[in-house]
Amino acid sequence: MSEPLNDNRWERAVPVYGFPVITRFFLALAVLIAMAFVLSGYRELAGLGPVSGMNDAFGWGIWKTFNVMVLTALGSGAFAVGISAWVFRRKHMFSLMRMALLTSFLAYACGLLLLGIDAGRPWNFYWIVFPWKWNMHSPLAEVAICMSIYAMLPLAIENVPPVLERLWYFDSRLRPTVEKIEKRLHSVFPWVISLAYLLPGMHQSSLGALMLLAGERVHPLWQTPWLPFLYLGAAMFMSFGCVAGTTMLCCLVWKRAMDMDVLTEAAEITSWLIFGWQALRIVDILYRGAIGTAFRFDRFAGVFWIETLLVVAGGILLYQSVRSRDPQPMFLGYILSSLAGMIYRFSPTTLAFRPNPEALYFPATIEIVVSLGFISLGVAGFLVAVKRLAILPAPLNAWYDMANYFRFRRPYIRWTGYFQGGYFGSDAHKAEAKSD
Amino acid sequence: MAITRRELFTSMVKAGLPAAVVVTVGAETSEEHVPVPNAAVGLLYDATVCIGCKACVAACAEANDTPPDTRGDELHQAPTDLNDLTRNIIKLYKPTDGSPASFAKRQCMHCLDPACAAGCPFQALHKDPETGIVSWTADKCIGCRYCTITCPYHVPRFQWQGFNPRVTKCELCKHRLERGLKPGCTSVCPTGAVIFGARTVLLLEAKRRIKENPGRYYQNRVYGENDNGGTQALYLSRVPFEKLGLPELGVESVPARTLRWQRRLYQYFALPALLYVGLVQVIRKSLKGHEHEAIENEKRTGLRAQL
Repeated sequence: MSEPLNDNRWERAVPVYGFPVITRFFLALAVLIAMAFVLSGYRELAGLGPVSGMNDAFGWGIWKTFNVMVLTALGSGAFAVGISAWVFRRKHMFSLMRMALLTSFLAYACGLLLLGIDAGRPWNFYWIVFPWKWNMHSPLAEVAICMSIYAMLPLAIENVPPVLERLWYFDSRLRPTVEKIEKRLHSVFPWVISLAYLLPGMHQSSLGALMLLAGERVHPLWQTPWLPFLYLGAAMFMSFGCVAGTTMLCCLVWKRAMDMDVLTEAAEITSWLIFGWQALRIVDILYRGAIGTAFRFDRFAGVFWIETLLVVAGGILLYQSVRSRDPQPMFLGYILSSLAGMIYRFSPTTLAFRPNPEALYFPATIEIVVSLGFISLGVAGFLVAVKRLAILPAPLNAWYDMANYFRFRRPYIRWTGYFQGGYFGSDAHKAEAKSD
Repeated sequence: MAITRRELFTSMVKAGLPAAVVVTVGAETSEEHVPVPNAAVGLLYDATVCIGCKACVAACAEANDTPPDTRGDELHQAPTDLNDLTRNIIKLYKPTDGSPASFAKRQCMHCLDPACAAGCPFQALHKDPETGIVSWTADKCIGCRYCTITCPYHVPRFQWQGFNPRVTKCELCKHRLERGLKPGCTSVCPTGAVIFGARTVLLLEAKRRIKENPGRYYQNRVYGENDNGGTQALYLSRVPFEKLGLPELGVESVPARTLRWQRRLYQYFALPALLYVGLVQVIRKSLKGHEHEAIENEKRTGLRAQL
C-alpha cells in the first residue's frame, strides 16, 4: 500500500445512532407536509387557478420548474456519482453511493408526487401503461415515462440493500431469506444498474429538450440546440454537490469524521465537470453570437452573470480545496456551484422565459407552501432513513462505537438490530450463539 | 482498479460504431417531411377587409356551445385575449404614430406540423390526417399544459378553474363541418374577411387578391403558405404580420427545426439500446471487482460486507 495512512478512511456505512428521530425540526417538517397534503386536496377540487400564480402566459409554475426540473437535477447523484464509481471505477466514490442513491430516490419520488398534483387531469395518467399510445417523439412523454420507470424500478431496487441489511441484523431467523433475496438481487444488478444510468441520462437531457420547442420565447443566452446536453451537465455537477455537500453537512451535524481522500476526489471530479460545462456554455453562446445580449442592462443579463459568477467561483473554490484538502472552501464551493446550477435549470422555463404578450409569474402562497411541503417530505424521509439505516459513510471505529453504545448504554433497545452482530462481527456472533 | 484505457476504448467502439451508422443512415426521419393532408381545409383571413365587428367572436362561442365570456365587466362579451371560453378573438393593432392600423383575428393556425401535437405526451392534441384539423381529446389529456408552452402562436388555453379542466382551442367547428355547415366565424362575417374552404383553393384566392391589388398587402405574401412549415389558417395583411401577433418563424416548422437531433438520437430507440448493452458489459466487470473487494474486506474486518 503506497497510500498515506488515513485515520478517517470511510470503510463502512453506519446509521446515525444516539439521536432521536422526532425532534423539533422534524415536527416542523411534519406540519409542513400535512399542510401540503391538505392544500393538495383543495387544489384537486378547486383547480390550479385559485391555488397558484400560473396563468395563460406562464403555464408552468414552480411545482414543475423548481420541484421537478431543479430538484431532480440535485437528485441525480445516483446517476453522476454512480457513473464515476461503477463505469469509471473510482473506488473512493463507492463510499458515497448509498447517500447518492437515497437522495436521488427521495428527490425523484417527491418530484413525481408533485407532478401528479400539478397535472390538471391526473386520472388520464393511465395511458402510461399503453406504449402504443405514447407520442414517442415528445420530450415530455420521454421525461414522464422515463422518470416514473426510473424512480419506481432501478432506483428503488438500488435502494433495497440497506433495507435488507437492516433486516439481516434485526433477527437471525430472517437471515437465510435475506441472503437468498440478496443473491438474486446481485444477479440482476448489472442490468438494473445499467438501466439506472441510461434512463437519467435520457430524461435529464430531455428536460432541457422540453424548452427547445418554446423557440424564441426562451432568451438567446439560454436557448440553444445544446440545451439538453447542458441540462445534463448541470445535473451532473449539481448532484455531486448535493451528495458530497450533504454528506459533509451530516458529518458536521452528527459529529462524524470526514474522509478527505474521498471528498477531495469528489471535489476534483466536480471542479472539472464545472469547468468543462462552463466552457461549453461560453463557446456555444459565442458561436451563436448571443454574447451581445449579456451586456444589456436587463434582468436576463443579470441572471446570466449571477449564474456565471457563482459557477466559476464555485469551481475555483473546489479546485483550490483539492490542493489544500480544506473542507471549508470545499463546502462553500459545492453550495455556490449547486446554486448556480439551480438557477440555470430554473431560467429557461421561468426567469428567461419571455411570453408574448409580456406577462409576469410569481408563485402564490399556497403554491409555495405545497412546494416546501413536498421538499420537507424528502428531507424528513432522509432524516428517518439515515437514523434507521446504514447510509452515511464512516470510519470502521464508528461501527464499533455504535455497537458499544447499544450494548452498554441502551441495552433495552432491541429493534435497532445493528449491534447484535456488530460488535463481535458475524463469526464471533455465531460462536457466541453456539456456546449458549 | 480504475477502468483501463483499452477497455473504455473498445466499449466505445463497440457501442459507438453501429450507433453512428444508425444516426447517419436514419438521418432523414419521417417526421421531418411535412405532408399537406389530402383534404386540408382552412381559413383565409384578410385583415384589410375586416371591419372589427366581432360578430365572429360571438358566433364562435355560440357554435361551440360556450357561455359568453362576460368576466370583463359582467355586461359585455368582451374577452381581452383567447382564453378558456374564447376560441376566436378580434384584436386591434393601432400604432400611435398614425401609420396604418389593422384588425387581427386570432384562432388556431392548424399548422401542417403542429408544435402542440409534437409535444403532447399522449396524443391528446392530434392532427387529423385527412382534414388536417388539430383537435383536443379530453380522454387522453393529462393537463400538463405543455401545449401552452410549445405553441408559437400561443393558442391553446388551459382552464384554470375547477376539478376537471379542459384545453380550449379552435377546432375549425368540425362538428358543424360534419353536418355540412361552415365554421361559426365564417358563416357570420359580413364583409367576407374570413372565408372557409380547401387550403389549396384559399391559397389561390389569396394569391389572386395579391395580384389584383399590388402594393396593398405586406410583402405581397400570404402568411401561412410556408411559414412555420405551412399553416391551414392563411393571413393577408397591410401591416407587418408580427404586429398581428404572427411571429416570423421561417419556412421550417418549429418541431422540425428544434427537435431534429432529439428525433435522430431516439430513432427506433437504437442508440439507447446499444448504449445499454455497452453499459451492462462494463458494469458486470465492475461488479465482479467490487464483490471481490467486499469479500476481502469482510475477511479483514470480520464485519458483514456492505455492497
